[in-house]
Amino acid sequence: MDELRQSENHLTLILSLLVGALVGLVVVAFILLTGRLAARMYPAGGAGWRRILVPTLGSLVTGYLLWRFFPSARGSGIPQTKAALFIQDGRITFRTVAGKFLCCSASLATGMALGREGPSVQIGAGLASVIARNAGLSSKQVKALVPVGCSAALAAAFNTPIAAVLFSLEEIMGDLNATVLGTAVLSSATSWMVLHLVLGDDPLFHVTGYRLINPWELADYAVLGIVGGLGSTVFVKLLLILRQRFAQLPRQTVWLQPVAGGLTVGIMGYFAPNVMGVGYSFVEQVLNGDVVLKTVVLLGVLKIIATSMCYSSGNAGGIFGPSLFIGAMMGGAVGSIAHTLFPSVTAGPGAYALVGMGTAFAGIVRTPLTSVIMIFEVTRDYTIIVPLMVSNLIAYFISSRFQKVPIYEALAEQDGVHLPTAEARAQAGRSQVAHAMREAPIILAADTPAYEAQERVKDSLLNAWPVVDQQGLYGMLRSAELEKAPVNGYAAKNVRDLLNEQSRNDPLHLESAHVHPDHTLSLALERMGSSGLRTLPVVSRANVRQLLGIVLLDDILDFFGVHQSADESETEE
Amino acid sequence: MAKPASGLSLLRTFSLTIAAIAVFFLIDTVLVRTEKAESRAAAARAYENGMRLMGQGRYVDAAGEFEDALALARENLTYTLALAQALLAADRLPKAEATLSDLLQRDGTGGAPNLAMARVLAKEGKFIDAVSYYHRAIYGRWTSDAARNRVQARSELVDFLVANHSTEGLLAELLPLQQEALGDLATQKKLAFAFIAAGSPARGAELFRDIVRREPQDPDGYAGLGEAEFARGNYRAARANFEAVLRLRPSDAASRQRLNLSNQVLALDPAQRGLSREEQYQRSLKILELAVASATECLASPMSATTRDLIDSANNILRKRTQPTRQVEAMDKNMQLADMIWQIRRSECGATSQTAIDLVLSRASQ
Repeated sequence: MDELRQSENHLTLILSLLVGALVGLVVVAFILLTGRLAARMYPAGGAGWRRILVPTLGSLVTGYLLWRFFPSARGSGIPQTKAALFIQDGRITFRTVAGKFLCCSASLATGMALGREGPSVQIGAGLASVIARNAGLSSKQVKALVPVGCSAALAAAFNTPIAAVLFSLEEIMGDLNATVLGTAVLSSATSWMVLHLVLGDDPLFHVTGYRLINPWELADYAVLGIVGGLGSTVFVKLLLILRQRFAQLPRQTVWLQPVAGGLTVGIMGYFAPNVMGVGYSFVEQVLNGDVVLKTVVLLGVLKIIATSMCYSSGNAGGIFGPSLFIGAMMGGAVGSIAHTLFPSVTAGPGAYALVGMGTAFAGIVRTPLTSVIMIFEVTRDYTIIVPLMVSNLIAYFISSRFQKVPIYEALAEQDGVHLPTAEARAQAGRSQVAHAMREAPIILAADTPAYEAQERVKDSLLNAWPVVDQQGLYGMLRSAELEKAPVNGYAAKNVRDLLNEQSRNDPLHLESAHVHPDHTLSLALERMGSSGLRTLPVVSRANVRQLLGIVLLDDILDFFGVHQSADESETEE
Repeated sequence: MAKPASGLSLLRTFSLTIAAIAVFFLIDTVLVRTEKAESRAAAARAYENGMRLMGQGRYVDAAGEFEDALALARENLTYTLALAQALLAADRLPKAEATLSDLLQRDGTGGAPNLAMARVLAKEGKFIDAVSYYHRAIYGRWTSDAARNRVQARSELVDFLVANHSTEGLLAELLPLQQEALGDLATQKKLAFAFIAAGSPARGAELFRDIVRREPQDPDGYAGLGEAEFARGNYRAARANFEAVLRLRPSDAASRQRLNLSNQVLALDPAQRGLSREEQYQRSLKILELAVASATECLASPMSATTRDLIDSANNILRKRTQPTRQVEAMDKNMQLADMIWQIRRSECGATSQTAIDLVLSRASQ
């Protein structure tokens, strides 16, 4: 075990497998439990009064539990997971996980018009965090394991292992090139395998074959993209406005607020039972072409209102599932009209409903790549890709135009949490060493005698200087080594000897003591910290011994607008 | 930040995680079993409701019940087939076809789904595809009562071919069906009629004779035998059988009409046995006269020169008296001329319903 502890990679891999299996099983239990309870709480064809009473009482009970015991389990779970990842070193407590499981099960079982995927993600991330912390991993490793739990959860909740990985990277991490890709894939695959072991090979939605009837049909999908983009914007804005209004109510009412959502969904459910709960069974009907235009339009509108009310009033549950429901309704409506107008050149409404799901998801959650892959995984049909991309990107563009801040960031901001946005991360990515580097003012030849080197650098403010030999950069000679030379009797030695001595004393620092022009400035700062140098050589990627220049700590600070004079820095030192 | 854990705490974490995996695996297994059992029971109830509604002719409602059953037990082939059959009965053909396509992907050799698909395609008017699926049903796998189901499928195919006037291939289906369906009187009657439609009235007559022998009081047997003999050109035998039908079922208008037609043919046909040369000649003149009258009545004037010449020639013949010694030669000419005029009349004015002159000229030209 101690050996395993030493090998971080092996440990992370093993934990990824364990997290994948456990999260998969827990999420399956969560889904089955909510499904069975919901079937008993408000059975199909049951009395109408029951559909009002159950969500109202359910929201009252869960509202109290959330207020009294599990305040972190409120809402979707995705903003909370991101906050934990970026702000709290990946720390999610077991209490939050247990609360999320309990409250969401109760909330969804009593018919709240919310989704189960977001809570699953938080449960998965929480379990990964708990396991990692109990295993004594460093905070960096804990943070690395959180997205692993997310992808495992989504793979089990939605039966789409590839989209689960992409969602974790695109939405949770905000970086498709994140280093956790391998472990996320591993846990997603493990979770998916467990799901199939328990439930069998049963896709989430059973849809009939999809096909593009005519290339002109892409115009219809473009229209769907516009409708999806506008619908997504309306949904997000309504949800955020309502949530803001609820937040302005007296704090004493927090435990009672969820009842507003429960009562709303109950009254709607009295007349339109399909608006209650996750609603995937009705989505499947629409996907299979059972579309009555008035019904899908009505349910789409009701779901937007119901989900906004349920979520903003503080019930536990996500918006991932409702996004798909709303999208399917919008797609079904557009498809129904298109098929009525141009029956010979358009597919049935079911195909549009399918694309509509991805479209709304791209518009609401703003993860266009995940939405394309997710629908592709659901249908397992390659021909859907092009219409899906057309529709998704239009919806994404419109939604971004009218609602600048993506929903999960906006929700976190309402809670006073500022998550790093994709833009901020892109900005950080744009700050490269090339923007702050300069030519080296002093370059020492490797065969320069130590005393001569001391003479050359005596007026320099740098604390290290590049040393070159005939092949190029030989190393960075630190001022401390040079100053020690006369004391240690090395005055007769040359710079190469000093560097060799330096590398014997500190063999690790040399490996990290360089940067490339395309490295980020934050990496340069990290390397300065690990090497103890305030001056790093900038070398070519094609030839690491080719010195291109140097980058100084002061130059980096200047680049970020933190002006610091050399004198000040010397004083601090 | 978490403190570095000892190997022992790592071991404890692993143990706890694995124990949690085992516990949740058990929980999930129990939940899945419970859910599956409940789903199966609910699906069976919905299926029974659907079958009851099918029996009441409420096909749309039945389809809804079968859909509910399928939503709970997606892999159940029986429910899928029942849904397709309900959709077919409710005339929701595209959905029935889609449902069956899905079913056939899972059970491509099943006799019942192939037969249902053939029925859907037949109703959609997709002739070639329908025939293909009928064949798949005939040679497909039937879980119970395979022989009877195959006969049923082939019998439906025969009906479909007859309804579509497709004599090509009909005989090929009838011959094996005759072997398989022996003893079943209703099927034999259908077979015998199909043999007539397939252009093999002799086989039809043979079957009907067998039926009449077994059921001497069955007017349908005599009617069928009358049709078979009629189709063979045995108008005398046909007349006898239609008379037998009318004795057993005097109100049978169709048989009375066929009897009249048989009598007209027998009264007009110069090729009937036992006629004198003079009588044969007179009948040929009568036929020529009827052909000219019918053509003159329907053809628009002015007629084409050829038609005019033919009718003029016919009128000349009808006006002249031919020597008894040349009556045989004249009779042949009369029949040829009548046939030519009749052909022009048919092409210009369209085919009429079966008439005596039509039948006589057709027979004479064979």
